[in-house]
Amino acid sequence: MDQHTEVTKPQTLDELIQILHKIFEGDEINVEEVQNIMESYESNPQEWVKYAKFDQYRYTRNLVDEGNGKFNLMILCWGEGHGSSIHDHTDSHCFMKLLQGQLKETLFEWPGGRAQGTMVQKSQRVLQENQCAYINDSIGLHRVENVSHTECAVSLHLYSPPFQQCQAFDQRTGHKNTVKMTFWSKYGERTPVVSVV
Amino acid sequence: MNMEAFSRIERRSTSLDLTHMNLDTLSLENIGDERRKAIQQLHVAFNRFSVFPHNVCLLSSLQFLDISNNQLTVIPEEIARLSSLRTLIAKNNRLNQFSLPKDFGTMQLETLNLSGNRFEEVPPQFLKLKGLLSLSLGGNRLSSIPAEIENLTRLEMLYLGGNLITAIPPELANLLRLRYLVLCDNRIHSIPPQLTRLHSLLSLSLHNNLLTYLPREILSLVHLQELSLRGNPLVVRFIRDMTYNPPSLLELAGRSVKSQNVSYHPSDLPSNLLHYLSLASKCPNPKCAGVYFESCVRHIRFVDFCGKYRLPLMHYLCSPECTSPCSSTPQSDAESEDESSVPADRLQRVLLG
Repeated sequence: MDQHTEVTKPQTLDELIQILHKIFEGDEINVEEVQNIMESYESNPQEWVKYAKFDQYRYTRNLVDEGNGKFNLMILCWGEGHGSSIHDHTDSHCFMKLLQGQLKETLFEWPGGRAQGTMVQKSQRVLQENQCAYINDSIGLHRVENVSHTECAVSLHLYSPPFQQCQAFDQRTGHKNTVKMTFWSKYGERTPVVSVV
Repeated sequence: MNMEAFSRIERRSTSLDLTHMNLDTLSLENIGDERRKAIQQLHVAFNRFSVFPHNVCLLSSLQFLDISNNQLTVIPEEIARLSSLRTLIAKNNRLNQFSLPKDFGTMQLETLNLSGNRFEEVPPQFLKLKGLLSLSLGGNRLSSIPAEIENLTRLEMLYLGGNLITAIPPELANLLRLRYLVLCDNRIHSIPPQLTRLHSLLSLSLHNNLLTYLPREILSLVHLQELSLRGNPLVVRFIRDMTYNPPSLLELAGRSVKSQNVSYHPSDLPSNLLHYLSLASKCPNPKCAGVYFESCVRHIRFVDFCGKYRLPLMHYLCSPECTSPCSSTPQSDAESEDESSVPADRLQRVLLG
């Protein structure tokens, strides 16, 4: 029987990470519990600014913690107008919390068998600072975008189990490609990728 | 970019941080003369300035000024006194094309960010900023881009997303140092083929416009790593353009002269015909040796980018019968470009959808 952990509100990012380590010690994940914990951490830029490395041309993924192999915690930095492709989450849980700015999340249905025709949009919302969203493959696919032309956005993502590749979808046709995911930085240090095509 | 907002969290004595302080005036009383002359960065975003604080101009060494998220309607003449100012950020104010002083163009600015204001036109003063490297007018009300944008010869970054722009002037292609061009969230119908000259371009953002096709010349942008095209009504199925105005007698004669290589001397012809003959365009079909003048057919082909996506690219052919030899049936939508299947490493991310 799972012990009901007494969860307190994390006062700092480090505390949040410690609590997450405890929660993920077991094998079962209570999605609501993780979502609440992540949402209750009040974003304090001074605690995460060292991970917030921006690139001019595209959004960046910056590894914060490897969760003892149980999860990856990372910070994504979105410049003005930066957006992702429509993608899945390789059978993992995905939690996304806004640390600064806003992000638009558009949900899509999985494309049908022969992947013909425009993908079907399910819903759309704009996530506000400190809000935490959740998605997994059974819920659907999504596209995440910073639609602001004046502000950048920073989000905190937790993926469990960790994964290094996912599928990206063409909205017009439903065709998909496997995409390898790389880190712009790890633990606050820039980690250029040696290109292997 | 907003990266500056994060660098300010480090406190240095040459940087003065007065953001989020509910200020409507700027008093520098507590700052001695010497420090005033030493301050290089001033952050006064998120205050209540409805009038530009003139005291800013006392900071004679100022290089960086961020006065975003206030209520400014005018930037006064005195700003031109800040001869060391290289970065001016005044996002989210109430500025328009009449708000800048006459001499603004004489400043030595390298970065200018006026996104989130009320500009309906690019003011002529901006086009005199010869040293400008980065210009952002995102989220304004621009309906066009002036041809004089080509004067900004050093420009590396141009952000015009979120406006009301309907067309791109071909002169934009003269910005040969441009690396990042953002035109997303506008009302653009077509891309001028001249943009192929932007050989420094690394990232092109065109999402959420009214594009139905792209000029085939876009394939020549060899350094392009990012291309976003989602949210455009890009043609998915091949549509053969059947409308074709038959060529005039003048055009037919001109085509004969060119394709038969009929020799002529300038003294043989009136100057208007000489000029006409010089305008011959070579048919882009590599297997066709023909030329055309005004009469051409808009032809849409699909090109595989990186073997993954099929983009509709448009080019002109000399006649509807002139097609690539690999086309099968007229109504086929499985046509692919024979001479240019873009190799995988050319475009790392084509965000089509």
